[in-house]
Amino acid sequence: MNSTVKKSDSIFRKRIKKFKSIKRAYYSILILLACYIFSLAANFFVNSTALCIGYTNNIYDFGEEYVDLNNNKQWDEGESHKDKRRYYYPLFKKIFQNSEYEAKFFGQEYIKGKKKYGKPHYRLLKQQFDNNNNGDFVIMPLYPYDPYEEVLSELDEEFTDKNSNGLWDEGEPFIDNNNNGIQDEYRPPTSPDQYHIMGTDNQGRDVLSRIIYGFKISITFSLTVVFLSYFIGVIIGASLGYFGGKLDLYGLRFIEIYASIPFLFIVMMLASFMRPSIFILAALLTIFSWVGICYYVRGEFYREKSKDYVSAAIAMGQSHWNVMFKHILPNSLTPIITYAPFAIMGNITYLVALDYLGFGLQPPTPSWGELINQAAGNLQNWHLVVFPLIILAITLFLITLISEGFRAAFDPKVHSRLR
Amino acid sequence: MFEYTIRRILLMIPTGLGITFMVFFILQVAPDGPFERAVKQIKQANMGVGESGMSLSSDVTGDSSELTPELLEKLRMQYGLDKPIFVRYLIWLGIYPKESQSKIIPINTSFRESVDAIKFNTYKEYLLQKHVKVVKDDSNQLLVIETGVGLEFELPDILNSSLKEDFDNQKYFLFKQNYKELPSQNLIKTWYHSDWDIKSFDQESGLITLVKTQFKGIMQGYLGYSEKKGKDVSTLISERLHISAFFGLTSLILGYLICIPLGIWKAIKNGSRFDVVSSIVVFIGYSIPGYILGIVLLVYFGGDYFPLHGWRSPNFEELTLIGKIKDQLHHAFLPIICWMIGSFATLTVLMKNSLLENLSQDYVRTAFAKGLSERRVIFYHAVRNSLIPLATGIGSIIGVLLAGSYLLEKTFGIDGIGLLSFYALIDRDYDIMMGFLAISVTIRLVGNLISDLTYALVDPRIRFK
Repeated sequence: MNSTVKKSDSIFRKRIKKFKSIKRAYYSILILLACYIFSLAANFFVNSTALCIGYTNNIYDFGEEYVDLNNNKQWDEGESHKDKRRYYYPLFKKIFQNSEYEAKFFGQEYIKGKKKYGKPHYRLLKQQFDNNNNGDFVIMPLYPYDPYEEVLSELDEEFTDKNSNGLWDEGEPFIDNNNNGIQDEYRPPTSPDQYHIMGTDNQGRDVLSRIIYGFKISITFSLTVVFLSYFIGVIIGASLGYFGGKLDLYGLRFIEIYASIPFLFIVMMLASFMRPSIFILAALLTIFSWVGICYYVRGEFYREKSKDYVSAAIAMGQSHWNVMFKHILPNSLTPIITYAPFAIMGNITYLVALDYLGFGLQPPTPSWGELINQAAGNLQNWHLVVFPLIILAITLFLITLISEGFRAAFDPKVHSRLR
Repeated sequence: MFEYTIRRILLMIPTGLGITFMVFFILQVAPDGPFERAVKQIKQANMGVGESGMSLSSDVTGDSSELTPELLEKLRMQYGLDKPIFVRYLIWLGIYPKESQSKIIPINTSFRESVDAIKFNTYKEYLLQKHVKVVKDDSNQLLVIETGVGLEFELPDILNSSLKEDFDNQKYFLFKQNYKELPSQNLIKTWYHSDWDIKSFDQESGLITLVKTQFKGIMQGYLGYSEKKGKDVSTLISERLHISAFFGLTSLILGYLICIPLGIWKAIKNGSRFDVVSSIVVFIGYSIPGYILGIVLLVYFGGDYFPLHGWRSPNFEELTLIGKIKDQLHHAFLPIICWMIGSFATLTVLMKNSLLENLSQDYVRTAFAKGLSERRVIFYHAVRNSLIPLATGIGSIIGVLLAGSYLLEKTFGIDGIGLLSFYALIDRDYDIMMGFLAISVTIRLVGNLISDLTYALVDPRIRFK
């Protein structure tokens, strides 16, 4: 009989439904999540290491068919063999086994007249295979540029150095790749072109790939900071609100003092002393940003603790910890959730600002602020500020929409307009 | 209310002390401070001499680059590192006397001390000097005594006669002070007690460390001295305060002038196409940090249409009044846009939401029921009440704006307080950093207080207890 009674949705579920009904906020969160997941997997899409290589090496390898001329059941020098194409997956090898192939393994002995050691240059290898046209192939990731590597020198047009001074002189023959009659040498930063669709920065690194990796780092960074400061802020705020009394009184005074610290200044100061890694920087920001959520949680707990269900839980002999985090916390999620987008936004902008001022992540970490700083140093490089700004503004705009949606869903205040 | 204000002001004291001590502590324990940099510099200088002077004895150069313990000790004293951090902090505050001068001399020998160079109209410049001597008196107590000023040279008559007239002139302060204690010229030749203190006495070597102490900290209005810039920190800050304040206040006023009407209009037209479109524009503006917008504006409009950086043209003083206004507007136009964009969205949305909330209140219903016109209800009744949350923001915004903005001032090359403290951070100029911190914390705390008091003033429903 009981089973026929339809249980009504919990208030939380109702709010999620309400949030989903706000289309722009819902789509914003989907887009942002998709972008973040893409950026987390950016190693497979934006990378200079090849995904797959099919290569016939013209050497007899064990297992290949051969014509056994002297019937000794093994391959000897001079016997012809049928060369099998083998497949290699350098990117997976690099990521999962942390090792790389040697350049000469794929027959890439020289690059631009210089001997190539170490890992192969896959983009040039692809060119080489395409020119050979014997069926060997290289499958590069979607956007084959790394955020760390210098990518310009491979575009320089080759020339024959007659007087071997290392420079192209008038009259020396060269290969005119783009048929403009001039021997081109690329000096960073370069404006967007067909290879680098957002140009390169002042060290000749690809801007788009730095922006994508920068997105990953920015979001990861701000999520880390928000998570950590929530962890601290919720525990402290909950204790202040729940226990009240003297703890609350002195705790609030302390927090008031703490909140008036000019914390960007102090973070800059500490960063200039410590030259922090991303996690230490996140910890530094956490130290100063837990106060914001602490206030809200304290207020919410203060209101909730006088309600009947709390008294009931206490009467049942629940521990303080259980009352606080099993009973009150689920009922005071509103400020915690509506505050999150603001916190994330704030931390993204802080990271950009710190990087812009030179007190943020250590180079060569890809970061938006660093690109913007380069543009500020040389105003001709419009592409170094416009593209990061567009991506940053879109990201922040989407988060703003999400925060609006959260607020509408969790704080159902309807403005009725009279007349 | 009065009691509340007093309590808030009292609470400001531990707040200010807490923040400044925290930063002071970090600065003092941080590596690579001014002391370490000075030591490094001296070492490098020594090494340079060693290498060029004695190229053969390379093993000696290694030793000569090390500083002698005495020199190191002297340097530490010069940077005040011979005292514990807490005492250093008290010195910075001006509660504990600061050693402004120090001298190490053997006992019973005198040293000359230059007091002040004075100049009388067209006459020569005189360096006033006095002698200081440390002696042991009969009871084996150390005693510091000094002569009056100017023992070493004959005082010209003109100096004595004009001296009386210039008694009130600050310039001759030291001169005057010494003569006050010396009624007749004969007494100059006698020794008398000095304002030098004995800091330490090394029995073996017979060396005495003398220091001159004075209370010199922020309590006395002294913020410190910047070695790099060669100026007092208070001068440096007061030279720049008006620049930061100009941008802060102008953008604040312009922001209010634009955002309030816009917010009202958006609330009245809530849900219309105008509301939606302007909301999108406002939110896009909210998503663009001001300093990045600044760089973009400089990329596209800088140089050709607007100056690339600076607060005013270098030849500003030579311009006519109209030229000055033009020049100032020309320089300030782009920065002001960027300064405004930060608070633009928050103010507009706050105004709109606040008005919307008021429009759904009962008193608005009553006003409509009385038969008042819509215009009168909105502008006379509702808008007045919706301005309350905006008014309270002023205090805290002023605090933030006056303290300057590193980001915007760096972008536009405006030499305000923000840029000053930014370069102080890079150069490790601790005095500027602490001075800036003291000023900005004070401004911020006062701003918070003002905003809370405004809150109570404009909204009679609110009573602080």
